[in-house]
Amino acid sequence: MRAEGGLGQLPLQNESPAPRPRAESRLGLAVRAIAYLNDKLLVLSMIALVLGGAILSLGVLLRYFLKIPTDWQDEASVFLLVGATFLSGAYVQSYRGHVAIEAFAHLLPPGVNRVRMFLVDLIAAAFCGFFAWKSWTLFHEALVDHQTTTSTWSPPLAIPYGCMSLGMTLLTVQIALQLATRFTKHERP
Amino acid sequence: MSTATIGMLYGAGTLFVMFLGVPIAFALGSVAVVFMYFFMPASSLDTVTQNVYEEMASITLLSIPLFILKGAAIGKSPAGKDLYSAIHVWVQKIPGGLGIANVFACALFAAMAGSSPATCSAIGTAGIPEMRMRGYSGRFAAGIIAAGGTLGILLPPSITMILYAVASEQSLGRLFLAGIGPATLLVLLFSGYAVYRYKKEYQLARLAYDAGGDKSAYLNDETFTLREKLRILPRVLPFVILLTGVMIALYGGYATPSETAGLGALLAFVLIAIVYKIWRPRDIKPILASTLKDSTMLMFIIGMSLLYSYVMSYLHISQSAAEWVVHFGVSKWVLLAAILVMVVVLGFFLPPVSIILMTAPIILPPLRAAGFDLVWFGVVMTIVMEMGLIHPPVGLNIFVIKNVAPDIPLHEVVWGVVPFVGLMIVAVLLLCWFPGIATGLPSLVMTRN
Repeated sequence: MRAEGGLGQLPLQNESPAPRPRAESRLGLAVRAIAYLNDKLLVLSMIALVLGGAILSLGVLLRYFLKIPTDWQDEASVFLLVGATFLSGAYVQSYRGHVAIEAFAHLLPPGVNRVRMFLVDLIAAAFCGFFAWKSWTLFHEALVDHQTTTSTWSPPLAIPYGCMSLGMTLLTVQIALQLATRFTKHERP
Repeated sequence: MSTATIGMLYGAGTLFVMFLGVPIAFALGSVAVVFMYFFMPASSLDTVTQNVYEEMASITLLSIPLFILKGAAIGKSPAGKDLYSAIHVWVQKIPGGLGIANVFACALFAAMAGSSPATCSAIGTAGIPEMRMRGYSGRFAAGIIAAGGTLGILLPPSITMILYAVASEQSLGRLFLAGIGPATLLVLLFSGYAVYRYKKEYQLARLAYDAGGDKSAYLNDETFTLREKLRILPRVLPFVILLTGVMIALYGGYATPSETAGLGALLAFVLIAIVYKIWRPRDIKPILASTLKDSTMLMFIIGMSLLYSYVMSYLHISQSAAEWVVHFGVSKWVLLAAILVMVVVLGFFLPPVSIILMTAPIILPPLRAAGFDLVWFGVVMTIVMEMGLIHPPVGLNIFVIKNVAPDIPLHEVVWGVVPFVGLMIVAVLLLCWFPGIATGLPSLVMTRN
């Protein structure tokens, strides 16, 4: 199988969410909690996406028909669309929607494949964890130093950095839970 | 450690992590971070997130989710089926008209939706059963839809071209325009093949019938009245107007590409609400969710690919690789052929997004040094990547067709696309001989502007 993606509406590799462990376990609660959070953030991302499109459309109308300058529209849209991207990252991961090359997955013996899948989640979690940590550092600096963009509108950079930090943290937690679920599943078949 | 050794380690590490099955975005990011740790100043690790944010916070790149939204809105509506039906009733008198209708419907739908798989799915759902009902072989029907769907990444607003414009620092407007001539050429080549194939299958059906066999559906005549032809138009004209309006907004200087994306998405929602009554939250939510799934996945890959390229550039890997290619001393056409073969091979495993962003720093400087127009090359590279969507033994569109028409065996689908891969190679060769097919329109329009 090849990696899918890159061109707009693409089928996800796995349309069903990761299996949920037994409801009574702490892991089960954590999985349900992040699923709930993902659903809420998905709705927020949807609103941000629509608002981003609406602001850009409004910009054209304001500029051409009402002759009102719209120097804020690009940055507002960027903030909204970056926010939507990062805040829905964990939701996409919950469906294993971040595409990967699975060319050799079917060729490996089941035991080796299990190790491979474990490593995959471990590497992904480690990277996202690192990225989340550095994002929070960036967010903290932006907040403390009152950093803004360089435009005349100059909105605070803490807004997109905050979305990035929260999104990457949730993504890390999501991958870690998937890893734990996988591990638990094999430990308790 | 020499740059060459670091470069080889970088490439090997990337291949290892990717083939291990780590999601492409995280694979690229993790390799970049590991190499930053070992080969770059410690402070560089503190700027990883800022680098990614600054690369992603480009209003041009962020038009991608909105173009996807526009495509999803149109793709989830019955617009594809109506578009196909409308073209069919108007061109059915031409021999092979049904095949031609499918090619044109794919091209128009692709231009509206901007996605190859979505085009295959939308037009194939209506077109393949119709073609089979009229006697077309499964192989031919599958091939024409799979190939027609690939036009999605060549016609504006192509996401592939948006990324190429960012990676190569070329004008997006020029690139969009440059795709139109070659897309028209492909539509003509595909249509010509549809006529040829129709005549061949028609003759075989006629011979079999004359020899006393069953009467194939090929031999049935079908006519539509003018009233029937006119009745279908109100359902498709608004979408054609949307397509035209978006192009006028972009090239008339009224809107930037990102504003065009926003405007297009908004208008697509207005149209599906008016024409198909798709406006309730329960109708809209799946469209938005599907958009976010695709665009988030894509934007993560883009962000991490740009980080990956930044590290490659900082460590002089891309510059050294480019210099090495230049000093290799091959002719410009051998260089081009080698690069295109590499793109084909990468297309077996990677989506176009990653191919463009990962290879651009290495392949574009030698191509520029060899005197190639990078807008022209962007179009050629896109056609080659289109082949990746259908060329056997893998190719996304093949599997989309298999889902749309499960009764057609996979090997029939695969054999069905082979002639179209050949036609795409012909198109690439024609573009090499007559670069004006791609560069003519942008030169004409942009010079006037």
